[in-house]
Amino acid sequence: MATDTLKSTPGARGASGGLRRLLLDNGALTALIVLVIAMSALSGDFLTTDNLLNIGVQAAVTAILAFGVTFVIVSAGIDLSVGSVAALSATVLAWSATSAGIPVVLAVVLAVATGIACGLVNGFLVSYGKLPPFIATLAMLSVGRGLSLVISQGSPIAFPGSVSHLGDTLGGWLPVPVLVMVVMGLITAFVLARTYIGRSMYAIGGNEEAARLSGLRVKRHKLAIYALSGLFAAAAGIVLAARLSSAQPQAAQGYELDAIAAVVIGGASLAGGTGKASGTLIGALILAVLRNGLNLLSVSAFWQQVVIGVVIALAVLLDTVRRKAGATPVAAGAGSPGGRGRQAATYVIAAVVAVAVVGAMSFLHDGSSGTKTQKLGLSLSTLNNPFFVQIRAGAQEEAEKLGLDLTVTDAQNDASQQANQLQNFTSESLGAIVVNPVDSDAAGPSVRSANKSGIPVVAVDRGVSKADTAALVASDNVQGGRQGAEALAEKLGGKGTIVILQGQAGTSASRERGAGFAEGLKAYPGIKVVAEQPADFDRTKGLDVMTNLLQAHPDIDGVFAENDEMALGAIKALGKKAGTSVQVVGFDGTPDGLKAVEAGTLYASVAQQPKELGRIAVDNALRAAEGKKVDETVKVPVKVVTKENVAGFGG
Amino acid sequence: MSDPDELLRIEGVRKAFPGVVALDGVDFDLRRGEVHVLLGENGAGKSTLIKMLSGAHTPDAGRILVGGEEVRIDGAQDAERLGIATIYQEFNLVPDLTVAENIFLGRQPRRLGMIDRKRMEADAAVLLERVGVHVSPRARVRELGIARLQMVEIAKALSLDARVLIMDEPTAVLTSEEVDRLFAIVRRLREDGVGIVFITHHLEEIAALGDRVTVIRDGKSVGQVPASTPEDELVRLMVGRSIEQQYPRERTDTGPALLTVEGLTRDGVFHDVSFEVHAGEVVGIAGLVGAGRTEVVRAVFGADPYDKGTVKVAGTGLRRHDVNAAMAAGIGLVPEDRKGQGLVLDASVEENLGLVTLRSASRAGLVDLKGQHEAAARIAGQLGVRMAGLGQQVRTLSGGNQQKVVIGKWLLAKTRVLILDEPTRGIDVGAKVEIYQLINELTAAGAAVLMISSDLPEVLGMSDRVLVMAQGRIAGELAADEATQDAVMALAVSTHGTGAPTDTGTDTHTDNDVEKEAPRGH
Repeated sequence: MATDTLKSTPGARGASGGLRRLLLDNGALTALIVLVIAMSALSGDFLTTDNLLNIGVQAAVTAILAFGVTFVIVSAGIDLSVGSVAALSATVLAWSATSAGIPVVLAVVLAVATGIACGLVNGFLVSYGKLPPFIATLAMLSVGRGLSLVISQGSPIAFPGSVSHLGDTLGGWLPVPVLVMVVMGLITAFVLARTYIGRSMYAIGGNEEAARLSGLRVKRHKLAIYALSGLFAAAAGIVLAARLSSAQPQAAQGYELDAIAAVVIGGASLAGGTGKASGTLIGALILAVLRNGLNLLSVSAFWQQVVIGVVIALAVLLDTVRRKAGATPVAAGAGSPGGRGRQAATYVIAAVVAVAVVGAMSFLHDGSSGTKTQKLGLSLSTLNNPFFVQIRAGAQEEAEKLGLDLTVTDAQNDASQQANQLQNFTSESLGAIVVNPVDSDAAGPSVRSANKSGIPVVAVDRGVSKADTAALVASDNVQGGRQGAEALAEKLGGKGTIVILQGQAGTSASRERGAGFAEGLKAYPGIKVVAEQPADFDRTKGLDVMTNLLQAHPDIDGVFAENDEMALGAIKALGKKAGTSVQVVGFDGTPDGLKAVEAGTLYASVAQQPKELGRIAVDNALRAAEGKKVDETVKVPVKVVTKENVAGFGG
Repeated sequence: MSDPDELLRIEGVRKAFPGVVALDGVDFDLRRGEVHVLLGENGAGKSTLIKMLSGAHTPDAGRILVGGEEVRIDGAQDAERLGIATIYQEFNLVPDLTVAENIFLGRQPRRLGMIDRKRMEADAAVLLERVGVHVSPRARVRELGIARLQMVEIAKALSLDARVLIMDEPTAVLTSEEVDRLFAIVRRLREDGVGIVFITHHLEEIAALGDRVTVIRDGKSVGQVPASTPEDELVRLMVGRSIEQQYPRERTDTGPALLTVEGLTRDGVFHDVSFEVHAGEVVGIAGLVGAGRTEVVRAVFGADPYDKGTVKVAGTGLRRHDVNAAMAAGIGLVPEDRKGQGLVLDASVEENLGLVTLRSASRAGLVDLKGQHEAAARIAGQLGVRMAGLGQQVRTLSGGNQQKVVIGKWLLAKTRVLILDEPTRGIDVGAKVEIYQLINELTAAGAAVLMISSDLPEVLGMSDRVLVMAQGRIAGELAADEATQDAVMALAVSTHGTGAPTDTGTDTHTDNDVEKEAPRGH
């Protein structure tokens, strides 16, 4: 008797069974709902119309990229190049519309064509060149990124105003990126479900050989599939640049992985043959909700990455588990019209239940929003560098002293992630925002929207273009560059050969320090610069680049590195030469840098005082929040630190 | 009641999966030193039963006794401990490891933490000697043919000290020469006291090798009979009704030549192959595995290139290496590897049926989904595909129904020349007959059928003419009335006086008349 219960009849389940079934069948949807409920419970600022729209905007670029990648993954391929192609398309648009003076409409066409062309090259390499998709698109990842740097010469290009409207809102509330995302999603769903190419994708992904022997033109289809992915990447790139009003050659780095994660979270298999547009959208939303919620909850920037990784794994795990549990020999969707009606009904029930729960949650928070302590937000460009870690330390010390609630976020050198974080700050209605822009132009639109909401913004270290900041707290990079040139040239006695290690191409710090150094060097015609190479502000890269340069120029006398990290890498490469036959000058005065100055391997560091920067920025932000007057620019002194004066210098 | 010779006993085992009862009261027992054949149609529950013995499934009810004691087999480790080894149709070997490494995979003899290669290879050599296969323990598994892979699997089972050896359709992919060698090994194992559970669809093998037969139908054991039981009776037990005629070929009047192949040559693979297939005719291609039969039909279909020759359909020449040209002319191919090349396994019945017509059912890039659905429903009904619905995943269909889907997609495309490569391999008797009926209907409607088969009775029973291939050439053509097994085999092993590769025989032939060496293909 007991065993008979195993044969449970599906008809016996009621509506609640249907709901359970729906959630079980859609692991990602369940995960999204759980996340939304959890975030609503934890943060009172989460469930507001503004914030939900923010999430939509923040998901848009990833989602559009992911829609394109869905085509590729369904057909059992992979596309790693979408982030680079997005940046390249945006750069092409901005460059042709501004520098080349082509009409904007044509520039848009050109940008889209660029995306398609990149996709076609991928497709050609995969289907006719027989390269594994991973390798072909990895190559395109590098080529695309490189070309966008070549075209833009490493600096962001302002985006034409008319196209920038794509980053605005319609009727004052509906953000255009969300609209674009929805439209692209519908197109994806339509292509996958209804078109010849879409159905072919499933067949090719499911069994390429069977598809070929059934007369599908697999090679041509693959060309089209990768071209579609390129087209979507171009669209994503344009939306991204429009949001920032600036096309950045370094934009969308690593977005391909987010896109792939979104597709896989959405239930697609990397082995091909499965995947849906709705799943991909849910996947992208999960990532966006997570980032947004963690910002609102003031989770430490470092822990955020851990949490995101864990949630990605859990979401896919949930899906795998439910597939194992719910796998019946009879595939779902054997679609009689009655069955479809019931399915629709369960969707509606699910939506109603979700809304009800979420609504109840938001009531819980009605009273708790009005906290007394002043809340401030600090958005840092990166925490991957001791300099910014020091800014954070100074800011946090000051906030603690003043009894402030300070939320710190890390944009990981990604302008659009920073835009998201600033948007989140704005929707939280903080007292004031301190921003350390990844890029001055790209931070503009987000700061303007904070301005509109009446939240004062203080910029630290780098300024913000085309927006009002209550104060700019910065050290003078150009002046610092000049001082660095002077220090190095004097030490070398006014003659010799030197190399320059540049920072990340396109960042203002690199540009300004470089410009200041070049200017300072003009007074010393005996000094010859034999090489200038970027090492991205990174110690490891500094080591590698310096090692390479030493092969070509073994007899140099000096090195100027645009930050201490690269200088320390260079010192490693120089070995015993450092501080004896080769003099190295760095920039920033980080603790490690100062130690090297003390040890004599680093001749000098143009020291900023990052802790001071952080402290003064918070101080000014509080004054601005309280409506007191603040100075428009606050210069924090820069100082050349050598062995003689290092003792008296400590951050 | 425990019989000291009894290795294994299964009593009233039951297993249900969501929506399906796979096994519903199966009894089975195995004695030391016997070959016990497990017979049943595809989907009868044989696979579930052996998976239960290898630990992949656990029974919902019933008992499994090993050596008289009730056991629970919860995984491969348990099965291994109890001395039960299973050789599946798909081998569990790692292609890029050596034979010795595969035999001792996970149990490599170690010395000081390092793998003791010398000892491992010496041990492997002993095991390989025992199964009587001459292959170096250092050879890479990738380089071996199917028959030798199987021997390696058997050696691996022996290395585990298996007392119970389960073999799932081991002869399905072997040539008759290789089958003989396999039988010799199985007999030797039987003499050593190993109990062997043997699954096969070839009824003639039962009398040749088996001792007892248990027949399973619809998840129940319906009878246990001695292996000497007449084939008709076995079929009746298995199918539940008697099958009138195993090869119900109905000859029709032949029309003009539909497919004409002239001088087709691909250097090193096949040479100067010429033949015609007329409307309403079934032409069989017989030959040993590796004779180049599959390669020829793939070239005819445009799936592979060829160097010389022409392929014409109804007088019009086809472009070389162009599947779409062949399809447009009305050729369809049901490939040898049904799962690997014929079907998108994770897609539904409907999608698989609509694969060939997907393009013609599209207008301005949009697929006529409703039309596709209706067409799929019609053809599935016509072919009698047994399924839960058009949305069922093809992976979960039985072999015979999967094959019907592959054939169905070509029927929807109005194929005039259908090429069938091993159309009934791994398919049970009942479904075979249904596929033969389908061939009859096709030829009656004026289509031409070209059929490759390694199953000689099938080729002889269903073909109007038989082409015999040997070493990449057409060795001869036989009309239906002059085609006998002996005549076909004589042609299949004929050589052209060129230095034919002679594989030094590794065992003596017991019952066969001709010396048949099967040079394996690529």
